Formats: sequence, structure tokens, C-alpha cells
Amino acid sequence: MNEMIPVELVGFSHRSASSRARERLAALGVESVYARLRSVGFEEAVVLATCNRFEVYLGRPESSPGARRALSELEDMAGSELAEQAYLFSGPRAVRHLFEVAAGLDSLVVGETEIMGQVKGAYEAARALGMTGRTSNVLFQRALFVGKKVRNDTKISAGQTSVASVAVQLAHRIFGDLSQSSVLILGAGAMAELTATHLSSSKVMRLSIANRTWERAVELAGRFSARPLRWEDFPSALVEADIVVASTGSPEPIVTRAMVVELMRRRSGRSLFLIDIAMPRDVEESVHGLEHVYLYRLEDLEGIVADNLRNRGGEVERARALVHEKAAEFCAGDRREFAGQAAELRHSEAL
Amino acid sequence: MRLLRSIRFNIFLGLLIALAAAVGTLLPQVPEVPEKVSQFHQAHPQWSKLFDFFGLFNIYQSWWFMGMLGLMAFDIIVCKLWNKPPDVGMVALPPEINREEEIERQLSRKEAALKLKPYQALLRSDLPFDDAFGKAEGALKEAGYRLSPEFRGASGGAFVATKHGLQRWGSYIAHIALVVILAGSLVKGLFGFVEMVPVLEGGSRAMQNKPDWEVYVDKFTVRYYEGTRTPKIFSSVMRVQQGDRELGAKTIYVNDPLDIGGVRFYQASWGAGGMFRSVTLKIGAQKLSLPQKKRVKIKGTPFTVEADMMLPNFTIKDGQADTASLDLQNPAVRLSFTAGPHKTSPLWLFENNPELCFVEDENGMLDHAPKPPFQIVAIDPVLFSGIQVAYDPGYRIVLTGAILWLTGIVSLFYLHRRRLWVLVEPDDGQARITLGGWSSRGPKEYEREFQGLVKRLGSSLACSDFQISRNPLLEVS
Amino acid sequence: MNPEIVLIKGTFAFYSVAALLALCYLFSKQERLSLWMLRLMGIGLALHLASFGFRLHAFWQIPENRFFLPINSFFGALSYLALAVAAVFFVIEREYRLGILGAFVLPWTAIGVGAAVIFADPAIAGLVPALQSYWINIHPMVLMTAYAAFGNAFGVGLALLIQEHQIKSRKPSELCYRLPSIEDLDNLNYKIIVAAFPTLTVGILMGGVWAYNAWGRFWGWDAKETWSLITALIYAGYLHMRFVKGLRGRKAVYVSMVGFASVLFTFVGVNFLSELHGYLSNE
Repeated sequence: MNEMIPVELVGFSHRSASSRARERLAALGVESVYARLRSVGFEEAVVLATCNRFEVYLGRPESSPGARRALSELEDMAGSELAEQAYLFSGPRAVRHLFEVAAGLDSLVVGETEIMGQVKGAYEAARALGMTGRTSNVLFQRALFVGKKVRNDTKISAGQTSVASVAVQLAHRIFGDLSQSSVLILGAGAMAELTATHLSSSKVMRLSIANRTWERAVELAGRFSARPLRWEDFPSALVEADIVVASTGSPEPIVTRAMVVELMRRRSGRSLFLIDIAMPRDVEESVHGLEHVYLYRLEDLEGIVADNLRNRGGEVERARALVHEKAAEFCAGDRREFAGQAAELRHSEAL
Repeated sequence: MRLLRSIRFNIFLGLLIALAAAVGTLLPQVPEVPEKVSQFHQAHPQWSKLFDFFGLFNIYQSWWFMGMLGLMAFDIIVCKLWNKPPDVGMVALPPEINREEEIERQLSRKEAALKLKPYQALLRSDLPFDDAFGKAEGALKEAGYRLSPEFRGASGGAFVATKHGLQRWGSYIAHIALVVILAGSLVKGLFGFVEMVPVLEGGSRAMQNKPDWEVYVDKFTVRYYEGTRTPKIFSSVMRVQQGDRELGAKTIYVNDPLDIGGVRFYQASWGAGGMFRSVTLKIGAQKLSLPQKKRVKIKGTPFTVEADMMLPNFTIKDGQADTASLDLQNPAVRLSFTAGPHKTSPLWLFENNPELCFVEDENGMLDHAPKPPFQIVAIDPVLFSGIQVAYDPGYRIVLTGAILWLTGIVSLFYLHRRRLWVLVEPDDGQARITLGGWSSRGPKEYEREFQGLVKRLGSSLACSDFQISRNPLLEVS
Repeated sequence: MNPEIVLIKGTFAFYSVAALLALCYLFSKQERLSLWMLRLMGIGLALHLASFGFRLHAFWQIPENRFFLPINSFFGALSYLALAVAAVFFVIEREYRLGILGAFVLPWTAIGVGAAVIFADPAIAGLVPALQSYWINIHPMVLMTAYAAFGNAFGVGLALLIQEHQIKSRKPSELCYRLPSIEDLDNLNYKIIVAAFPTLTVGILMGGVWAYNAWGRFWGWDAKETWSLITALIYAGYLHMRFVKGLRGRKAVYVSMVGFASVLFTFVGVNFLSELHGYLSNE
């Protein structure tokens, strides 16, 4: 059976290895890893390196030195003992693992889609270096197909899983496409910046950043091609803002109900989305009761994220079953099917 | 006065008018169904007292309802039409001041104004100033804009380009139209009249609104759809006389009236009043023709029979014979038989239903009777033609109002008005063009067009670079 | 069996299934549902038109009825109205690709045709003389097209209320992510009313011109005329509130819904009141 699926795998993931080990491996540089592998006789290998994972998939024509050899080369390159933190799979087990990875089942955030791009990128890089063969061609294309199918057929990828992306998604539900929307960021902080990143990639019309410290506002604004505002100016900037992200360290609310009442009068009824991710609150809670005002606090966004994760989690069993089924199908195919599959699965390219 | 001009008050007034109109459809109204009004009075005397106080049985002609309409018309004039939409803003240069100085001043004012427009663009052209100015005008004219020049001198020039400018007048015209329509109704109310003149066929009747006019119906015909009682066509051969002079004559049909100097005679309805020329009765083998209220002997019997009354749409009300309407849905004839001094109780027989028969006692109460051995073969009723006479001097006005409304509303909602303010200044042998844009529609519909327009201008003006920006502060609904 | 009746019953079946699919599509993610919803609607519409063609043919057998449209009965009018609602929905779907709104609009088409099939008398009658005018081909159609558009606007308004409630609750369900955004729905509601309001007023004015030609008076405050005017006043109120006072969102939808209630009364309720205009009174 194993001759049918000549695949081996040596890998380190956030489950098995410490972050220091993973950092060491990441620091090696993918190209030098390929060079080393080639130099010791591997003709077919794909290296998948992400922030949470470092895996080497090896094709195994009889000539290849084998996964253990690859592991020792890596230890040598990294300059440390890594064996206890690695996992070695071969044959159907390796196939199943790759499919699970592509489906996002092995990721920190279940069902995340970034991994698909990473898998595809890894495969293409290997191909460019001439390190792929018939096995890896068929295997990786099939993996991408399975990844897509699992995400379509189950809810594994449904719902956003970060506070920032949930906020942006809600913004879309209020305003439609954001190209006519104006965003105002009050304060700073990781979450606020992440939200700003998402929003500016949604191509909002205008992004303004106000901060008690003028220099900080300028610096942030530079990073997001936004307009910096002086802190005193923010109340008047509120009139034109459709989406406000409040993330200051202020101990008292800086946006009061009275302010918003006046604001809404001047905005003649256009909706206002306030994202209050500050602790303690930057926006008075009673603001949510006003007409056309939507105030989402950090706990509301976190609640949505938790719900989404729970829904995703509920789908894990189903997804896993699907992956195993597909992996078994793949392995059960004979050589003819192998050749056939390589030709037929072009559409998995459409990622 | 502030109140009358406030939009909130007028929206409220409009809805109040709607409410009053709605009440008028729920309660019977005197001009339409006076008999139902009296029925209502009998059935609900206390409510009727209350409703009468407010004139709720004749709402549409009541002083307060018409007052509300009048107030609405007044408010429209005062709110909307008093201040005409501001004009384009032609810069009238005082002649005595040095023109160039004035132009320079206007240039900076213009630039400041342009920065406030929602869409802005700045282009740098390789062409010299005069060339650029002319080409800019030409390009916009080609794009379908209408140009209004503002000023032009050695230090710069400006003009405004508009497309579908009519749109700005749309609201204004539509509101004028409403006032015109209300005015037309007022004219009709004051000077017009509507009158129903029922004329028996072959007869005539004088009008009430014009007592010296006599309406003659020489012949009236009605034809039914096969096997039904639904009329398919009815018409009158009629004429109108003023003493000996014939004012007009025509065979009128529904939808086809006679018009005498604005007074129009419509074939509106028809019916039978109860008079008839004859009733044909079949008794045994005999067919007797009975003129109204004339005794006819039945051969071979000592009896004479008389047909004295006909109801066109027989129905029983409170146990007595009555007619539900004046059209011949269910014609019935009352017959009485006499033999010597003895007279039978009157019987009712039906043209459409030979099985049915009622007997009437001395109090007029009806009771079922067995099927008689005679039946009504035909009734030849004397019909009357319901001629509606209407004089509406306000109609032309209302029609004008309707057309104005159509123009106004279509311009307002269906035309997309765009405006471009263009400022061209010489800049070191080349030209700098500043554009300000405005659209009556939202950005989703205009933004791309604006960008396309700027690019077109850029290419026809040999522009080396251009910038486009948005000014969201001015986003209005 | 009468081919017209067979076809219209088929229409009812297709519209009903399409409406059901639309409701399912609201809660499931299958694009296929939306596709089939549109397909079935298309077939239903074709059957509807075919049935209308048969009716037309039978109607024109009576010489007085040539060449007028057979909407002198409740059956004909309901049928045309359902057709108009479906047609307007298709136009909106084509333009904005909002198949999800089918759940709010298509049930009306099914109800319209259903009411015609179940309650109304399909008998073909000759036109009474007052209706034998070219105006019958224009005036009622214009008005009913406006009513159909208002019906669509009602559906959009309903979707807006749901979406607004979802987001305001701060616990949006999956439905929230499938419905269009609040602003988009609000704009669509407005756009439909902006298209329908002039149509309505033009239809009313046409009625006045026809009345003047038939009875000598442009406006008689009869129930149908009055209620169509009330409808126009309510929607005019909506437009003024939006333009001048910036009324949007939930409250604006409430106003437009009152307007739609008035449309329903104008079309259906009035028949129980008026002699002149009523479909039900002359039978």
C-alpha cells in the first residue's frame, strides 16, 4: 500500500514544537533548506513554512534518503535537537495530515483560510525550484481541492473570528460597500490598528486618526495613509464620520449621549457605527438607544467571535470525517487514477 | 406665519386632509347617496347629530375641508414659490471698476468656492491659457453640457456647465402645478355646475342651472349583452332648445357627450321610472296588450284585467313591494282583476320569473301566491335617459396643472442634474484648470462619471497630470 | 377544462413554490435555491402571460370588448396586479441582484393569483358602456404598476426592519449577513418609491381626464378616487419627510408601510364601499 503513496512528512507545528524551535526553523530560510535537501539527495520536496508550522513533504522514490535523514539535516542547520518536537508521518497518514492542514483543521483558528494560500505558495515555490514530481503534483492539487470542498460543505470557515474583522463585517452590513464611508479612529492600540487595517483594505473613502498626542496621530496616519487630527478637532470631525473606532485610555467616556444627539441632528439621519473597544468605555452606553446609532462594545464583538468559533468548532467533527473520506479515496486510487487525477483536478487551482 | 411655512406643519396638514377624505368614504355623503344618509340618520340619531355638527355628511363641500385645501395652496405658495430658486450666479461686473482688478478678485473668490464643491479636480495643461479655455468649453459642450460664461480676462476665466438643468425647476414646477389644479377646482366650484337631468324618452325637461334651456330626448335605445341584463350600449338622440332656437343636437353615447359652449351633456345612466306603454299578458291562448291603468276585457270570461303599476327592480322591503334601483333588473307588474263589482287583490307578476307570484293585501303587505295560469310575455316600459349636464370652466386650468405636474415630477425625479464650475488660469505659459462638480444624485451614480469626464478633459487639453478629490462634508442625503 | 383556468392554476403553483424557495433561501446558503426560485418565477410568469392571452382571446369574442384589456372584473385586476408585482421584482433583481428579497415580495404574487383563483369569478363579461374607452387600456395599468412597485417597496422595507433589528440587537444571526446592508435597503426603498410615486399621480390624473370624458366631472370624491389620493398624500409625506427632514431607516419604513396599507385599501377595501368603481358591487 505504501508504494502507492510515496509520501513522507517531517513537521513541526504549534501543537508539537515550542515557538523558539519554530523561530529557529523559520530563520533558516526556505531556499537554503531546499539547497540542503537537494545536496543530500532529495529530488522531490515541498517546504511549508508559516508562523505556526514548518513542514517538509518528501516524495519517496526508492532513491530518496527518507524523512529521518531530512530531520537530522534540519537539526544540523538549526543547530539544536529537534527530534522530540517533530512528527514524522508516511503514506496515508501523511496524506491525511496535509489534507487536514489545507482544510484549516490543524490551524490555531479553526477553518482559517490563509493556510490555503500558504499551501499553494509553498507548492508553487517548490515547483519553481524544480523540486516537485508526479506525487507532489497530484497530492498538493488534491489537497487544495479538499480544502476548498471542506470549507464549502461545512461551516468550518463561517463567521469571522477576530474582533476587528467582525467589526468590519458589521460595518458592511450597515453601510454596504464602504467606499462612501468616512472612518475616525480615536486613540490607538493593537485592536484599533487592526480594525484600521481591515477598514482601509475595504477602501473606505476617508480615514482620520485623532490622538491626544499629535506625534502619535501623525505616525499612525502615515502608516495607513490617513489624515491626522488634533485632539481638539475630533468633536467636529465626528460629524462627517460614519464609523468611529474609540480606543483611548480615557477613564471617562469621551463621546457622550448629548454629543451624539447633536451629531445625529447634523448628519440628518445617516447611520452611525460606533466601535468602542476601550476599557473603560469611551462611549456612553445610552448612545445605543438613539435612532440610527449602533454602538458595539468590546464584549459584543467578542461575543460574536465566541459564537462563530463555537459554530466552527461544532463543525470540526464533520470536517474531519470529510477529510478522512477524501484521503482514503485518494489513497485507494491506483496508479492509473493517479495519472488521471493529476489531469482532472485543474480547477483546484482556482483558490 | 412661521408655522405655516414649516414643513412639519404642512406634512401634518396633508395627512389631516387625507384623514378627512378617508372619513368621507366611510360615512355616506349627501351629494352621492342622499338616501343612505337619511337611513343613517334614522338608524343612529345621536351619532348623526354629532356628525352633522361637523358637517361629516358633506365633507368635501364643507367649509373647513375646502378651507384646509385653500390653506394648503396658500402654504405651498408661501413655502415654495415665494422664494424662487436662486439664479445661476452670473457675476455681474460693475462697469466702472477696472475690469482686470475685478477679475482677479473674482478669481480668488471662485477658487475658494470651488474648494467647497463635493467633487474636485485639478488639471495642468500644456496648452496656453486661451487655447485651454476654448478647448475646455468645447469639450464640455461636446459632452452635452450647456455653458454659461462668467468672466474672462488676462488673468483667468471661469464658466459653469450644466446638464439637465431643468431638474432644478422640477420641484418648483410640481408645486406650482398643485396650486394650479386647486385653483381650477376653485373655479369649477364657484362657476361650474353638475346636474342630473332625467328625461323620459320622447319627452323633455328643463334644466335647473339654466332654466331657459330645455333638454329633449327624442329617442332612447338600450341594448343588452345576449342573455344578460347587462347593458352593452345605450344612447339618446337628443337636442337642447332655448325657446324656439335649437342650441345643439347629437346622438350621445357614454364617453361621447354633446358640447354646447362648454356645457356638456353626457349619457350617464338610464332607467325606468315605473311608467310603461303596455304590458303583454298571455292568458290561456290569448295575448292581451294592457296599457297602463286601463281595463281590458278578457275574452270568454267575465273578467277585466288592469295593469296599474310597474317596478323596474322588484324587491321586498319591510314586507312591502319596493324597487331596489331604477334599472330593469327585475321588472314586475301589478295586476288586478275585476268581475262586475268584485275586485281581486292585486297580484305581482315577474317578467324574468313566471313561477313567482305575490299577492298584496289592502295594507300593501305581500304574501306568496301560487303560480297563476297567466304570465307576462313582455313589458314595454317608458325609459328615461339619465343625462348628466356638466359645466366645468376650470377644467382647462386643471388640465394645464396636470401637464405641469407631469413635467415637474418627471424632471425632479427622473432627470439627473450635473454641474461643473470651471476655472482656468494661465500658469507660466501653460494653463491650470480647477474643477468643482456637483450632482443631484448620490455619489454612487456620479463619481465614476466625474472621473471619466476629468480624464476626457485631460486628454483633450493635453494635460500632463491631474488630481481628483472628494469633499464628503457636503454629502447631502 | 378551460385552458385559461388550467394555465392560471399552473401559475399559482409555480409562484407558490417559488415563494417557498425564496423563504428557504432566506435561511439556507444554497445558491441553487435562488436560481430555481428565479427559474420557477420565470416559468410562472410565462404561464401567467399565456393564461392572459387566452383570456384576451375569449374577451375579444364579444365585439364590444375589442380591443380592450379584460380588467373589468376582480379576477382580471388581481391577476394583472400579481403579474405586475412579479415583473417589477424581476426588474429590481436584474438591476441589483438581490434575489434574497424574493422572500419578501414573491409571496404577494402567490397570494394575488391565489386570491384570484380561489375567490374571484373568472367569468368573462361584456364591458359596460362606461368602460368602453381606450382609457381602460392605460389608466388601470398605470395605477396597478404603481401599486406593484409599492408592494415591492413594502418587501424591501420589511427586510430593512429585520436587518435593523438584527444589528441593533448586537447579537446578529446568520440572516444578518445574507441580507443587504441597512443603507442599501433604505436607498432601494427610497428609489422604488421615487419611481412609483409619479406613476401613481399620473394614473390618478388620467382617471380624472377619463371621468371628465365620461361623466363631465374631473374629480368626484368617490371612494376609489379619494383613497388613491390618500395613498398619494401619504407617499408624498414620506418624500417630504426624507428630503426635508432627513427621515430614514425604521421610521421612514413605517411611513411607507402605512402608504402600502392605503394601497391595499385602495385596491381591495374600496370595493366594499363604492358603487361607481367597485368590482364587487355590480354583480
